[in-house]
Amino acid sequence: MANNNKKEKVLEVNNLKLYYRTSMGEVKAVDDISFFLRKGETLGVVGESGCGKTTMGTALLKMPTPPGYIAGGEIKIAGQDIVPLTEKEIRKNIRWEKISMVFQGAMNCLTPVYTIGKLMMETLQEHRQMSKSEAYDRMVKYLGYVGLPEHILNKYPHELSGGMKQRVVIATGLFLEPKVVVCDEPTTALDVVVQAQIINLLKELKEKLDLSFIFITHDLATEAEVSDRIQVMYAGKIAEIGTNQQIYGEQGASHPYTRRLLAATPKLHEKVAELAFIPGTPPDLLHPPSGCRFHLRCDVAMDKCKVEEPPLVEIEDDHYVACWRCPKK
Amino acid sequence: MYWKYVIKRLINGVIIFIILVFIYSVIFNVQLEQTVRTMIEEKVRAEEMALSTGNMTPQQIKQYSQERRDHYYRIYNLDKSVPERVLINTVNSVVFNFGNSTIIKSSEGSMDVRTIVFETIPRTLLLFATAAIIDIIIGLLLGIKKAQKPGSGLDKTTSVSTMIVFGMPSWWLGMLMMMLFVYTIPLFPSGGMVSTPPPEGSMAMAGDVLYHLALPVLTLVVLGFWGRAFITRNIVLGTLQEDFIMSARARGIPERKVLYGHAMKTAAPPIVTMALLALLASISGNIVFEGIFSWPGMGNLYWVAVEQNDIPVLMGDLTTTTMVYLSGLVILDLIYGFLDPRIKVGGKE
Amino acid sequence: MKWADIKNSFSDFWKEFKRVKSGIFGLVLFIIFLLIVIFEPLVLPFGEVNDTWRDITYWEDNPKSAQPEWTNFFRSEKLSTSSKLTDPEVHINDMGALKMETVSFKYDYQFSGAPKDIVLKAHGTGNPLIVLSVTRPDGEEIELLQKPLFLEDGSDVRISLAKDSRDSVYEFARDYESRVNVGKSDPKLFDVPMVLFSKAQEGILRDSLSEALKGEYTFSANIILQNENDTMDDFSLIIPGQVYGVLGTDAYKRDLWSGVLAGVKWALLIGILTAIVSVSIGVIFGVVSAYYGGWKDSLMQRIFEIFRSIPLLPLLIVLSAVFKPSLFMLIGMMCIFFWTGPVKTVRSMAMQIKEETYIEATRALGGGHGRIIFKHMVPLLIPYSFASMALFIPGAIVYEATISLLGLGDATIVTWGQILSDALKNGAVLNGLWWWVVPPGLCIALMGMAFAFIGFAMDKILHPKLRTR
Repeated sequence: MANNNKKEKVLEVNNLKLYYRTSMGEVKAVDDISFFLRKGETLGVVGESGCGKTTMGTALLKMPTPPGYIAGGEIKIAGQDIVPLTEKEIRKNIRWEKISMVFQGAMNCLTPVYTIGKLMMETLQEHRQMSKSEAYDRMVKYLGYVGLPEHILNKYPHELSGGMKQRVVIATGLFLEPKVVVCDEPTTALDVVVQAQIINLLKELKEKLDLSFIFITHDLATEAEVSDRIQVMYAGKIAEIGTNQQIYGEQGASHPYTRRLLAATPKLHEKVAELAFIPGTPPDLLHPPSGCRFHLRCDVAMDKCKVEEPPLVEIEDDHYVACWRCPKK
Repeated sequence: MYWKYVIKRLINGVIIFIILVFIYSVIFNVQLEQTVRTMIEEKVRAEEMALSTGNMTPQQIKQYSQERRDHYYRIYNLDKSVPERVLINTVNSVVFNFGNSTIIKSSEGSMDVRTIVFETIPRTLLLFATAAIIDIIIGLLLGIKKAQKPGSGLDKTTSVSTMIVFGMPSWWLGMLMMMLFVYTIPLFPSGGMVSTPPPEGSMAMAGDVLYHLALPVLTLVVLGFWGRAFITRNIVLGTLQEDFIMSARARGIPERKVLYGHAMKTAAPPIVTMALLALLASISGNIVFEGIFSWPGMGNLYWVAVEQNDIPVLMGDLTTTTMVYLSGLVILDLIYGFLDPRIKVGGKE
Repeated sequence: MKWADIKNSFSDFWKEFKRVKSGIFGLVLFIIFLLIVIFEPLVLPFGEVNDTWRDITYWEDNPKSAQPEWTNFFRSEKLSTSSKLTDPEVHINDMGALKMETVSFKYDYQFSGAPKDIVLKAHGTGNPLIVLSVTRPDGEEIELLQKPLFLEDGSDVRISLAKDSRDSVYEFARDYESRVNVGKSDPKLFDVPMVLFSKAQEGILRDSLSEALKGEYTFSANIILQNENDTMDDFSLIIPGQVYGVLGTDAYKRDLWSGVLAGVKWALLIGILTAIVSVSIGVIFGVVSAYYGGWKDSLMQRIFEIFRSIPLLPLLIVLSAVFKPSLFMLIGMMCIFFWTGPVKTVRSMAMQIKEETYIEATRALGGGHGRIIFKHMVPLLIPYSFASMALFIPGAIVYEATISLLGLGDATIVTWGQILSDALKNGAVLNGLWWWVVPPGLCIALMGMAFAFIGFAMDKILHPKLRTR
């Protein structure tokens, strides 16, 4: 599916299934999705709450939140499928080495009783044979990249502001120079000014260090700023993947859901008489609807949509859509 | 930062102590006064008896005893008004000046209440601290094990056991243990801290004390470690579900370090609080327990004082127990503050 | 918060609660206790136990410190059970000037240990003369005693063989006993019933050597009614055995089963009342403190700290020693100190609720403080309150028991603590009277366990984070 002049794929996900075991049955949070990430690009993943994007995020590190588990599929990082590996192998060689995660900084993801320095040092020494001074230098270097001074290393998390914590999380996620960095809502809980700073920072670092990001968020505006390609998920399935231009451009997105999602985002320079919204609610993933999962809320659903699930088809170069209404261009 | 906290807590503790002693004085003033009056009457009567064998006329004796009575009233402040007396009593209690007991004597034979009470403190601490250390260690280890496999057979059965002993009075279990291991199968001594007569030599002495400690400590531990394990399990489990644990695992930190480093260090403050509070509660609450085992501590003193209706000792013991309890609470706060960097180091930049 | 909301949340809660097995078990236990209280008059063997616990005469006919009857199950050589024979054969011979009433009881003795006494009870008037004798299975007939009675109209008669037939029984025994053993015995102290029920041979006067004589004993009373209006009727023969009842008796001959059953209601009352009152105070205190914030909050927190710093039991003891409280005063005193329990947690929960926008909205709509506190904040804390209450109950019960144990409790009522207090005073622990010590304490533990199960089940539902699946 890739062209010759495109870069190699650092991440390839094929037919991934993530289910949750509950007392009421299996919730199919992510149900057979396939996508890839190229070196040096940012793939944004958007969708409503509950569409499966965060679940997918932690699954890429093979750490689905319990009671979730990987029910099938492959996750290939730099060509190696991590799904069949043991926990020990993943912990030693994959996590943070090949793929890391930047969490929501406002989350409580920094151990409150450890100083930043201790946290970072522990991570470095766990993965690399470094002397203390070498480790220290690297920590300071990366803190510098995110614009934080050296003395932060002696501080405890509660002494830092939200923005500072987010930067620490970014620095920690990058300093082992992994192939893939998964960013899970890194700016969601921050105020707008800090948000902008963090986004610029991420763009800068991507250029500088030639990183590949997966950027998960529900905020379309941020997504547009940051991503090269965008993946829209709905009810555990991929609705559409396309480049920034293809989705946001004049032609507009192809999948009905994507279109309505974009329409629902108020634009700064347009007058809006009424806020558009998508009627209905996301489906119950315990018993997903037949056929296309969006058909109950879709305004252009056909009979075929109710019965047969549309496959993800490349309708033009690097543009994939799963909809019976969208033919190849 | 931390020092400010320490000083604040210490001063707070002292102020509360003074307030409490004041409240005690107010409540018990009447009763104390009664006791003192009775004691004075006895003294004067005794003096009268001694004099009547001499060569004073009944008239003179009467006058003399009245003078003596006034004299005593002055010494014991009974000639002052109630508020004044309460104040004086408060001040006295704060500096641990409790006067003399009515009946009880210390092991050296002194009737000074302060001596009587203070010599019991180390004995109580010996018993309850020993038991607390053992059951905290067992409880901690068990609790961590339970938190690692929640919902497992171990977890469920130990939780049920916790609930079974939840309402069991420690002194009742003590009674049962005694009936079983002292009278039915004579394994342990029937009470006290040392045998009579006490053995010679410090090693033998230590051994003897241990021999007497065994059954009460065993009783306390058997009851106590379940609760510690249960609370530890809950705290650790709660901590393990925090985001920073997931984050540590994502960073590839081995599970052992995650559990004992990240999780336990964060859980330490509430666990320590729980452990110390339990220790404090057992010290201040186990009056009957000491009584059953005739362990000569603060609690047993209480019991004896109640039986003998020795009010000064009772008051002195109450004040002293309050002080020990309060000190424990203050120390607890200080340790908590030390362990939790949010308090130790303070707020945001 | 409407009634419908409350009903809904309650039924949701109940659905969750049903799934926790231990909680249901605790609830079942609680219901059993409740049933005991409700049906107490029907269930108690000794109906007036509540009023007569300190009345020695009420318990006269029971054996002293008797083990429970079911312990015989574990013995090959059975100890004598207690019984009451009420249907004697009565003959009245009219002999002109006087009447002779003959009353006989048949007693089948198949035990290895003699009963503690044989007591004849009757109802009579006038001056009858009573002669008691017994016919043993070995054919021996012993005249036990001869006694003139002086009765007012309709008085009760009570004759104890252990007391009044000592001399005749001794005489009887001497004939069969060796000189050595007779010399060793003391006519004032020997065990009368034991001799009565032992084989007539050497060793009869020695506890360790005598053998039981099993068979049918006939106790007869010949009563001479000399005067016109002498009467005697309503005869019964009471045999206090070595074992008695479900839980035996204590040193005061009181039936412990009745005592323990009677204690259930007090335990429930003390526990539930203290828990409800103190948790309510504590929750309201915490909410109000969090709601007002500022200096009011600080002040309330200072007050809270002062109360929290008091070592509870010592103070309760001194208060009890000085003021000698009744039961309700004791409950009141406990409430005054127990309320500090929930305050810290409630306050932090209330702080969080306070930040919710709907509180602000209510205020904007003109809702007053009281309304916000009681209609919007407190109801959210009700599940936590209930869990707290359940967990406070065992503590309150144990506190009362402890106070009673020290002799400071309310002596007019029968609580488990009172029973244990008597046990301790009478050396039950030293003498191995386990049936006196184990049951009351076991009940305290059981009731505590029941509420622990209920409380922890509630707690589990409230903290789904700690749930494991």
